[in-house]
Amino acid sequence: MSNTPRDASRLQSELAQLRAALRAVEAPAIDEAALRARFREARQQLAQNAAAERAGRLRRLPLAAAAAVALAVGGALVAVMLRGEHSAPMLVVAETPVAAPSAVSAFQPLLSSPGLSSSSYSVVRVRIPLSAFAVVPGTVQDGSIEADLLVGEDGLARAIRFNEADALLVSAVDQ
Amino acid sequence: MEETDPGSNDRIDIRLLAEIAGGVEQAFVELYRRRHNDVYRFAFAMAKSRSFAQDVTQEVFLNVLENAHRFDSAKGSVRAWLFGCARHVTLDRLRLERRWTDDMPADLTAIDGDERLLADQRVERLHAAIARLPVEYREALVLAELQELTYAETAAVLDCPVGTVRSRLHRGRVLLSAMLDEGEPAPADASANVEPLGAREVCS
Repeated sequence: MSNTPRDASRLQSELAQLRAALRAVEAPAIDEAALRARFREARQQLAQNAAAERAGRLRRLPLAAAAAVALAVGGALVAVMLRGEHSAPMLVVAETPVAAPSAVSAFQPLLSSPGLSSSSYSVVRVRIPLSAFAVVPGTVQDGSIEADLLVGEDGLARAIRFNEADALLVSAVDQ
Repeated sequence: MEETDPGSNDRIDIRLLAEIAGGVEQAFVELYRRRHNDVYRFAFAMAKSRSFAQDVTQEVFLNVLENAHRFDSAKGSVRAWLFGCARHVTLDRLRLERRWTDDMPADLTAIDGDERLLADQRVERLHAAIARLPVEYREALVLAELQELTYAETAAVLDCPVGTVRSRLHRGRVLLSAMLDEGEPAPADASANVEPLGAREVCS
């Protein structure tokens, strides 16, 4: 296989001819009505896809909230049991419109939480039925306890804190 | 009619693309008018088939509708971006259809004005040889030699360094010369050289 200067110049000349020939090649004439119809169809499809995606996100929201509460309950059990024995590090929480209960404990990181990687959190106040604690022998069944969940931008709960009075009540009843 | 200043052309294209992203129908029609021949010629040069080129053109502009908002003018011109889209669509179709051969009319006296220009025997042979080159050399030659993109633009379209474009062009020219001199088909099955593009977006 050779590519001498003579070959190269001949090839360049032929490429130039092909380039000129291709410049003269025209696509079929535009059917503007069809083009506009295609545009409208595509826009409609995009709008439908976006709406379906939004609906899917909304459908997933209650599931995410339920999962967050379930995680919170697990974390709450550990937090209540360990309260007073270990001092948990205080987390810096973004300012939130939720008014803090009169006496609150510090936020306790949840065991299953993915960590505090997000820069923005929301505080969600929940009331957890004490029956949710019934998985542990000896805990009370009636009533509920108020808690604040620290929820990341991904909808996952990162930490929990309890109304101190409620938590003391639970603790007292436990004993 | 296009403006003579390439910068001005690109500014118009960028504006049209932004308007398409905002849902302006007229902008889509306008960009199609301005650029569909570029896309069509690229696909025709790659596959040497008019029907193939037409299908690619349609698909590329459908992708433009969905991906207009992804265009980043810092990465190159709209024309180069469209070639990038056309390249992905072309490679996908070539791989799926396994259509590598010339489907130009055999009877060159029966063809229309455009193709009469291509009917020159040497040019015809050259185009046929290009269409049989391994695809990495073919796309580099088509973009840099036939569509007259700069090496930097070609590198951006092919998503590879400029040095790689240079070496592919060199290697492609060597192969072409050999094929034309010897009148032999491609040195290897060209279809085997189409690498899957994976899950990448057509127009990214």
